[in-house]
Amino acid sequence: MAQDTGGVKDAGKWITDAKATYTVLIDQEHLVSKLYNMVNVPTGVWINEKGRIVRPNEVAFIDDRFKNFTGLDSAPYLNALQDWVEKGDKSAYVMSEEQLQPKLAPPDANALLASAEFGLGEQLYSTGHLAEAIPHFKEAQRLNPKSWNYKRQAYKLSSENDYGTTFMKEVEKAGGTKVYYAPPDLPAKKD
Amino acid sequence: MKASFLFGILLLVMVATLPAVAKDVRATIVYDDKATDINPAQTPDGTDQLWVTTADLTRATRFEVKPQGVCREELCFPLPKTHLTDFLHKQAGKEWFNLTAFAELVHQPMARDTATSTWYFGLRADQRETLASLRAPDFTLPDMAGKLHSLSDFRGKKVLLVTWASW
Repeated sequence: MAQDTGGVKDAGKWITDAKATYTVLIDQEHLVSKLYNMVNVPTGVWINEKGRIVRPNEVAFIDDRFKNFTGLDSAPYLNALQDWVEKGDKSAYVMSEEQLQPKLAPPDANALLASAEFGLGEQLYSTGHLAEAIPHFKEAQRLNPKSWNYKRQAYKLSSENDYGTTFMKEVEKAGGTKVYYAPPDLPAKKD
Repeated sequence: MKASFLFGILLLVMVATLPAVAKDVRATIVYDDKATDINPAQTPDGTDQLWVTTADLTRATRFEVKPQGVCREELCFPLPKTHLTDFLHKQAGKEWFNLTAFAELVHQPMARDTATSTWYFGLRADQRETLASLRAPDFTLPDMAGKLHSLSDFRGKKVLLVTWASW
């Protein structure tokens, strides 16, 4: 799901180049991030055959192209994924309801308001009102500082200068590149 | 003396219940991420309220005012009977509906841009509550060719849902 306000114009090249054999969708309004309370990309969720979540939001790298930046190796996640494909709900990586519930907590009041401010900013941007959109993107970032999506999407639509910062400055403020993504919460591999 | 005292109380009550003076405005309502231009809408002076005709309510949100509440297909939100005038009033032969009060009733976040008179309504509580049930919230989105796909189309298969972005 491409979380791209610019739609095909911004995401299309990546989809074409990937020659994907799986379904790739374009999510201009960041609807999936809203519905699943996601704050960064890539974020993965495992959903079983009955439409039930069995692993909630977590960083989901399928290769090591960003390993130097994140310090994260994709192999443990890919191993876990393979295990789930083979064993289904019996996989050790499928979470119980008790494990899932705290990770699926609803957004707080500020995060809800942030989602509305961000949606308003997107609407204004897409109708040619960038100058009016920027204060709403800033308000979304203030109300939900955990959302990298709100920061990075807004920077892409105009410039980091409009926000008086840079992506790397924000990463450093948050503790640096090695904590930018929390590693997936995977149990030790069982043979 | 007693009569004038009672009249004073009555007048105070009347002033308290009279709606603030509303002015006609042009507004863009974004509901379910779809924009609809409304002209006229009304915003009572000194408030953040947005009133629209019940016809425009349906045009912008697909909700209709019915005897049992504000409804869209099977979904219905009863209006509190003791506060009906907070939601509905008649003026110049039209029925007006307070969309901002309704947003509050259904726990729907809202944001407003005054310069462009744009009102954005986010996900209602009923649209957000499926996560706690562990059911994966359904959605329908287009692929690059514009063909729509729903998560529910994949029922019976395992789904790895991954978000990414060009930025």
